Amino acid sequence: MLKPLLSENWNFTAAAHLLNRAGFGGPPTEINRLLALGPARAVSHLVDFESIAETTPAPAWAQPDPELAERLRAARHASPEERQKMQRAQQQNERERIVELRAWWLQLMATGPRPLQEKMTLFWHGHFATSAEKVRDAYLMWRQNALFRRLATGNWSQMLIEVAKDPAMLVWLDQAQSRKEHPNENFAREVMELFTLGEGHYTERDITEGARALTGWSYDRQTQDFVARPMWHDRGSKTIFGETGYFNGEDFLEMVVAQPQSARFISAKLWNYFAGEWPSEELTTALAATFRGGGDNFKPLLRTMFLSEEFYSPTIIRNQVKSPVQWLVGSVRVLERPLPPPLVCVGLTRNLGQDLFAPPNVKGWDGGLSWITTNTLLARYNEAATLVQGELAPAVASMNPKRPNASRQFARRLDQMHMRGVDVDKLFTEKERTDAEALVPALERRLLQAKLTPGQDKVLREYLDGQPRLDEGAILNAIRLVMSTPEYQVT
Amino acid sequence: MKDDITLHTRREFLRRTVLGGALSWTVPTFLANTFAAMQAEAADRATQVATGRDSTILVILQMAGGNDGLNTVVPATNDHYHRARPKIGLAESKVLKLDNDLGLHPSLTGFKELYDAGRLAIVQGVGYPNPNRSHFRSTEIWQTASDSARFERYGWLGRYFDNTCSGCDPTIGVSIGRQMPQAFAAMHLTGVSLDNPQNYRFMAGGRSRPGEMSSTEESFRKLNQPEAESVENSGGTINALHGPVRHAGSVLDFLERTALDAQVSSDTIRGIASRVSNLATYPGSQLGNSLKLVAKLIGGGLPTRIFYVSQGGYDTHTNQVNAQDRLLKDLGDSMKAFVEDLKGQGNLPRVLVMTFSEFGRRMTENANGGTDHGAAAPMFVVGDKVKAGLLGRYPSLAPADLFQGDLKYQVDFRSVYAGVLEGWLKTRSEPVLGKQFTPLRVV
Repeated sequence: MLKPLLSENWNFTAAAHLLNRAGFGGPPTEINRLLALGPARAVSHLVDFESIAETTPAPAWAQPDPELAERLRAARHASPEERQKMQRAQQQNERERIVELRAWWLQLMATGPRPLQEKMTLFWHGHFATSAEKVRDAYLMWRQNALFRRLATGNWSQMLIEVAKDPAMLVWLDQAQSRKEHPNENFAREVMELFTLGEGHYTERDITEGARALTGWSYDRQTQDFVARPMWHDRGSKTIFGETGYFNGEDFLEMVVAQPQSARFISAKLWNYFAGEWPSEELTTALAATFRGGGDNFKPLLRTMFLSEEFYSPTIIRNQVKSPVQWLVGSVRVLERPLPPPLVCVGLTRNLGQDLFAPPNVKGWDGGLSWITTNTLLARYNEAATLVQGELAPAVASMNPKRPNASRQFARRLDQMHMRGVDVDKLFTEKERTDAEALVPALERRLLQAKLTPGQDKVLREYLDGQPRLDEGAILNAIRLVMSTPEYQVT
Repeated sequence: MKDDITLHTRREFLRRTVLGGALSWTVPTFLANTFAAMQAEAADRATQVATGRDSTILVILQMAGGNDGLNTVVPATNDHYHRARPKIGLAESKVLKLDNDLGLHPSLTGFKELYDAGRLAIVQGVGYPNPNRSHFRSTEIWQTASDSARFERYGWLGRYFDNTCSGCDPTIGVSIGRQMPQAFAAMHLTGVSLDNPQNYRFMAGGRSRPGEMSSTEESFRKLNQPEAESVENSGGTINALHGPVRHAGSVLDFLERTALDAQVSSDTIRGIASRVSNLATYPGSQLGNSLKLVAKLIGGGLPTRIFYVSQGGYDTHTNQVNAQDRLLKDLGDSMKAFVEDLKGQGNLPRVLVMTFSEFGRRMTENANGGTDHGAAAPMFVVGDKVKAGLLGRYPSLAPADLFQGDLKYQVDFRSVYAGVLEGWLKTRSEPVLGKQFTPLRVV
């Protein structure tokens, strides 16, 4: 079993680690607030988020499209040219909404009162990785996101069944078209390979039979909702995991969840997400037992994880590469500045290799070290200037490889924007702003919650000493320099 | 012991180039330092120097998603083919004829021209034993050149870098994009990635005189250098005890290494990109842009041996016809422009392009006008020196010869890799591929 965290090991570093991993980090005041609560209450503050009111309204268009039926009808009667024109206009509209949706979600992560709920929503998005590139409907993407948020720390089989019936997923993995004459195996395969069991824990036959059980779960374009089509469902007998019966979609998914491997699979993936490394066999067994013991609910597992000695081991702390979203959201939080405008946010995260609502494939983002290439690392270093000094050029670097012309348009729109840098007076005391001796530790505490290496410490002091005056410009450059180190890329 | 030496010389190289450059910064000094370090490096080693301006170059082109080989190199006269594909099958009159039986997809006019000019080899029926139908696993198998049931930690090109060039310039391998292909994963040297040379640098902001570094940039370079102590001590017992790079601090170590590689390569790459012009017109696609950049980097003399570009979208479960028409047109036209560009530069004889896709698709079309994940498929090899024409044999389409509805492979993809390693990169394939495969003669 996991060892409980001893209260004498609860300190600033531990509290910062908890806030960084279970949330998106925060300035020293927030870390100190968690620290003062003690470990149990600090974890409860994050995990038992239902008691905190969440009042952010959904985007205005986040509802079934009232004009959809009319548009579909008009399209049927239109000439091919007109239809193409309508489709283009519609797709442009959806693209604008996806930009809005990305910014809406980033805002929730950056300033919402329930960081763990958003962190788990992000986990589920990467796990059930669905892309707007195929779904092409911002409302459906929002709806799936709302499902992940609602069941963020909920029950495993409820999550799985609701995801299987989720319109965006039905479209994404072609389940919507699966009927008894031609069962589509795409969802049945991925649900076992990527969502619940992993390769080697099911047979090709389990896939074909599972696909038969799922036939008839479909999507109604008119209502933009799930629909069960009994005529499409294969009522015959199926054999799955060696059991034979007249299974339907729910039965199949319940059977998948009941496999011992499913608890190990999802517990290990959650540990990796929060701890930054894959658990040993032994730890996986302990995590899976905790998960099953909690009735297949995620909340008790998370509480146990965040209160375990293992989670605070020195090999875990500050040894995880920040994802681009973590980098952006975490940065605006420690810099206590607002998120940049939506288009800028989209550009920034795209350059770093993560487009929300557009994961590269159904496996999601590889994460970890693969976030880091020479290309994305330079982009991180340069985007620090966007956040610190309001420098927009690095965001313009983004170009849409599928629509190269769009980058020019994008650059034009960015040219008309103005962005502020950070407010130095808000981040540092007067002493820190005027004395390099005080400024360097303050920078470390705020940006790294750890010490720079001796060599870096020396370089930074030399830099500050070399400036004609320790003015706002010099301090901003110093912040930017600390963010342009390997150390700032981990959390 | 070899690891110690290579790690040490590599650090030495980076120290000299980056730190030496940082102390007395001018562009010529930087280049001189780089060059001197590389010369020293070359003299240090008994193994062959893999880098150099005049060496052969390999461009890997990934067709991600599983390209339908049957509708790419089409057995248009085969009855089994038309029976299995009543909706999406391509008629004999439509394909670009290669011989009496086979034709290229009608969109591949670019490939047809290359074929007629003796610059295209088509390796038929490529795959591997016990094929895996998962995109992710099968891609991994191709990228690491592993057996179906084995897991390899490093990529096949990464092992090539490690085996031939552990201490040298990071631009030995260049991947166009934001991600590194798993094929580049290596113990020491993973290559660099970029997609836009203009932004491939640390933007210091503020003003400084040309050829001079601002103090921000100078500090940046120093902040991103490895800890002085670890550089000085890296040759001795510490590495012998813990093994290179794979110690507890590996995440930061990896970041440090990448930061150095970025700095070492950025000035050269930007210089080349602003100096060299393309000599052909490319499609405005992602692939077109990627190959355009590769041509520039080759033209500018970057010491790269391996370039990696990728084109996605081949997972055609539904409405395959339109999607594949578009993708293959882009592929053929981009390749044609690339060859033209290199020919104009005079570099075509040095360059070989090899395509791959994680699998082909099922023989039988599905109910949604598409095809599902299959097995064997063709690979294309392009260049002046290729053994042009059809290589290997087309897999039999007779129902009795299929394996679970898929084409059976005729050529193991690792034989193609072996042929490219030995025939083109002039290196022994066995240390790179882990065992001996009969090299397929592609050049």
